[in-house]
Amino acid sequence: MATRDAVTVIGRGTHVRGKVAGDGDLEIQGRVDGSVAVDGDVTIEQGGLVASDVSGRRIVVRGAVKGDLTATESIALEEGARVVGDLRAPRVAIVGGLVRGYVQSGDGQGAPRGAVKSAAVARPAVAAKPAVPAAKPAVVAAPAPSAPRAVQASNGSPAARAAQPAPQQVAHVSRERAEAPRAISLAGGAPAAKQGPPPQVVPSLKKGAKGALKKKA
Amino acid sequence: MASTVIGAGITIEGEVTADDDVVVQGTIRGKLTSRDAVTVESGAVVEADVASGPLSVAGAVTGNITSTSRPARRSSAT
Repeated sequence: MATRDAVTVIGRGTHVRGKVAGDGDLEIQGRVDGSVAVDGDVTIEQGGLVASDVSGRRIVVRGAVKGDLTATESIALEEGARVVGDLRAPRVAIVGGLVRGYVQSGDGQGAPRGAVKSAAVARPAVAAKPAVPAAKPAVVAAPAPSAPRAVQASNGSPAARAAQPAPQQVAHVSRERAEAPRAISLAGGAPAAKQGPPPQVVPSLKKGAKGALKKKA
Repeated sequence: MASTVIGAGITIEGEVTADDDVVVQGTIRGKLTSRDAVTVESGAVVEADVASGPLSVAGAVTGNITSTSRPARRSSAT
């Protein structure tokens, strides 16, 4: 399509209040207060700000977004990205930057929408918690599933993810707020919870029992 | 290179405010304000009040135009 080559640029000093829609690639360096829905690629550059939902084919974020991102192909958050909202795409890459919200990848588009909505309602309560306590429930609630999902949520089963939205959400909040503590607790905490304390090799004796045995002998 | 380009195929419904020059190849409905030059290229549709610096129109503009200089109307301008 001829219009595919046409690149739309919202420049640095440009402020759009209203919705941007249509066909073609979009580069946002300025500010958009309104929904962005295009068929092409959307790039939100450093310094760019979108205060609403964004949908496109491929979305690359280096700026700030306050709204949900929905891509038909992929979403990439690069260095400097700040997103408060859910990410939904077949492939999601978080190279740098911060996210507060759900990340849903895989082909399960649309089906778990209800789950996403309910989680969005619950999100503020969880987000309000301080970072370290938020990291702990993630391990307690779902030690095993949270680990692969947080590392790279690219090829999981959407059904399983929809079934337990809460742990995933907590995991992501903790990912944002407490990257280091969570990593530690996953590495050290998860195996410990599975194995428990090592079994006692020598049966414990009551106090004084040893002496009694000696006397007998 | 213009700082802001509204490409063909893109529709903006609402208000566009720019500090720099704007090139419109697509559609704008609402309001378009720029401190610098505005170019409405052929094929573009602007159904908006336009307030700008030097304005050049080759496409269609429906609405009030306020420009610091006389609008330059190219062929095919409406």
